Amino acid sequence: MSPLLAASVCLAVVAVSLLTTLAFRHFILAHREQGEAEAEARVRPLAILLIEEEPLPPVAPEDQRALATVVGRYSRKVGGETTELIGAYFRDGGGLAAELEGMKSRRAWRRAAAAYALGDMACPEAVPVLTAALEDRNAEVRAAAVRSLGRLGDPAVAQTLAESLVAQRVPRGMAGSALLQMGRDAVPELRRIAGHEDAGVREVAVTVLGLVGDSGDEDVAVKAIGDPSAEVRAAAAQALGRIGAMAADAALEAALEDPAHFVRAEAAEALGAIDAIDALPRLVEIARTDRFKPARAAARAIAAIDPETLQAEAAKPGAGAHLHEAADLLAL
Amino acid sequence: MSDPASAGDQPVILAADDDEDILQLVAFRLGRSGYRVLQAHDGEQALALAMETTPDLAVLDVMMPKMDGLEVARRLRAAEATKNIPIIMLTARAQDTDVQGGFEAGANDYLRKPFSPKELRTRVQALLARR
Repeated sequence: MSPLLAASVCLAVVAVSLLTTLAFRHFILAHREQGEAEAEARVRPLAILLIEEEPLPPVAPEDQRALATVVGRYSRKVGGETTELIGAYFRDGGGLAAELEGMKSRRAWRRAAAAYALGDMACPEAVPVLTAALEDRNAEVRAAAVRSLGRLGDPAVAQTLAESLVAQRVPRGMAGSALLQMGRDAVPELRRIAGHEDAGVREVAVTVLGLVGDSGDEDVAVKAIGDPSAEVRAAAAQALGRIGAMAADAALEAALEDPAHFVRAEAAEALGAIDAIDALPRLVEIARTDRFKPARAAARAIAAIDPETLQAEAAKPGAGAHLHEAADLLAL
Repeated sequence: MSDPASAGDQPVILAADDDEDILQLVAFRLGRSGYRVLQAHDGEQALALAMETTPDLAVLDVMMPKMDGLEVARRLRAAEATKNIPIIMLTARAQDTDVQGGFEAGANDYLRKPFSPKELRTRVQALLARR
């Protein structure tokens, strides 16, 4: 047999072996997934009994894990007193202790799995361990921890989450989502950290406050629009566009004169969102003369506040591209 | 889809959600509270079931395949036989504009997910008592 033929045969054997292994692995995984889905469907009525405080029949040992999975899943879907029942299930049944132990594992995947599972157990005892895990050397563990902290919703960790986000220790989207999940409960803490020494943390606080706060939190955003950091001022303008009430118009009109063009753009957009009719003359001027972003935002704000003014201004000589574009979009 | 054939004095509730966990929980909670629960897994199924059985109340998830809960509510309000059915929307969408959209579509009440099954039962009882 020539060396070339031998090599070809070897390669073919290796390829066939690899394909067989992959097919076998796919079959095993699919079989396991199907088994897990069947077990979860089987124990769902038991999980419902548990969270409805009904007597629970004995659970077969092979179904214990599936029951924990389904109960954990329910912790994401139900609230109120049910959350406490789910917490009690994991606390009394040993699930919490097992995952807290898992957080001490030397293997990163085990710590990440434990950090993820702890978020579905509705046990506030896990918060300190998960907060410490934000400093874990493994990124997956940190990401699982931040997700679970959001699930557990303890507003006391809002500052730590914001600091982790700013330091880029955790994915920005996940930390933001965790803060949002805390909802209105996080507002007092967000108001407090809106005065944090780090501009990045202030920016996060004001941004999230704009999403979960209401007009009662306007004072924080109005103050932040005078912040030394342009990013914080832009976040404040954005927040005022969402929650702005009595004092928002004046603060946002002042922000139209901001030296940073992206702050002016955010202010213009926010003025459009709150129908600030008194700001129209200045918005028209910005739409005609400012840089691209603020000019475009101003033109769109005019369209939102008073379409007739937009059409009249767009018809004037030298109106510029942004007023024309906004008028065209309006006509569509 | 549940069998709508059985009758009796039990008020009939239509529960529609594509999330099997939620659907089973709602069915259990309301079943234990003395209601007969018809289950639908998508909007089209919910609408067909409502037209067929005219339930006493409907609990509709907003985000469902084939037809969302808002559209189901609109169509129930547009049909003579179902226009007075009280509707509770279950929504994971927390923005006030979404809640407003639910009311505009014809909902009488809404519950935000994550929700409390006991609160759902209370709201169902309150709406049925008003009829």
